[in-house]
Parts: sequence; structure tokens; C-alpha cells
Amino acid sequence: MKRELTLTHDPIAESPPQMSEGMGAVVTFHGVVRGTEEGEAIAAIDYEANEEMARHQFGLIFDALEKRWPVESVRLVHRLGVVPANEASLRVEIMAPHRVEAFEACQFLINEMKDKVPIWKRPQ
Amino acid sequence: MKLKVKFWSYFRDHTGCEETTVEMDDGATLADLMTVVYEQFPKLTGTEKCTLKAVGVEYQDDDYILNDGDEVSLFPPVQGG
Repeated sequence: MKRELTLTHDPIAESPPQMSEGMGAVVTFHGVVRGTEEGEAIAAIDYEANEEMARHQFGLIFDALEKRWPVESVRLVHRLGVVPANEASLRVEIMAPHRVEAFEACQFLINEMKDKVPIWKRPQ
Repeated sequence: MKLKVKFWSYFRDHTGCEETTVEMDDGATLADLMTVVYEQFPKLTGTEKCTLKAVGVEYQDDDYILNDGDEVSLFPPVQGG
């Protein structure tokens, strides 16, 4: 494992997004296409979605998330089409008052997505 | 009644088409439709247990009663992320 530690008096370079009062945690997750799939080298993954249904199912998941945690905002980007290895296919950003709910909400969102949102992949 | 059935992901490889139209009697359920689909596309046989079914943008169970003009989506387990 590579290790990198910085203790600094300067602002952190990777600044968080604009926060509302009372918000103290932002969890950002990137899902990245691995260069292997089931032991075989791949160049990319081609993602296909039933887009109308995917938007609806994501909406239901956001509704459930909002009822369960005091989340300020959710931003999610899922790429479609061919995504080369080592590029991000998914980005999730959750803003909440505290880290526990931000992490839990992020896990919940991704788990629900993998269970319910009609997106499929074909390794290439 | 007339129904549109759409196939997604590798199910299209089994059917050789993106969608088809099926005529069913009024009161037919999703299970009744699946019987017709498996007769029409025998290569889908074997996918029964993993097939997810939606009418419009909502998942539905086999006992869902279909309506004229419904658009049914059939697809394998989802793999987002």
C-alpha cells in the first residue's frame, strides 16, 4: 500500500463543495472500471441503461434515502456507453450534517442502485 | 389487448430483436405473457429465475394484470456501478 500523509497549515487543495450551515460532511465516491473482469484483461465496459426507468428508480431510491437520513444533497453521475478501463463510471456525492449518515447514505444508495436500477454492462 | 415487450442487455442476443408486440386476452397477467414470450423466443428458456420484469418504469410481479398498450420490459439482473 502506498502511503501519503500531509499535516498542513494551508487550506486543503481538494476543497469541499459549497456547504449550507449545519452541514459538516461530504462523502464522494468514484466507481472506476477495473482493467480485469473475472481474471481476464479488458479494455473497457460498455454500459447500457433503460434510461426512463433508471431515472424513475433512482428517484425512488433518493426518496427512501431522504426519509432515512438528514441528507442535504445527493449528486450522482453514471456514465453510459463505452467507459475505458481506469476511468470513472460512477460518481456519488452526499452532503450531510455528520459523517456517519453521509457514509451510510452513500452505501445505501450504491447498494440499492446495484439491486434496482436497470443498467447493464458488457466488458470489452 | 396489444402489448409491447422490450428486451434489454443480453436478452436481446437470445431474442434477436429489441422488441416485439404480443396480443393477449383481457385480464392476462404478466405470468401469462411470459408463457407466450418463452414460446415465441425459446432461447430465453433457462433465464426464468433471473428475469426481472417491469411494466412502464415500475417492477411488477407475475400476478400483475396487464392493460392494453402496456410496455413490458424484460431484463437480466442489473449491474450498475
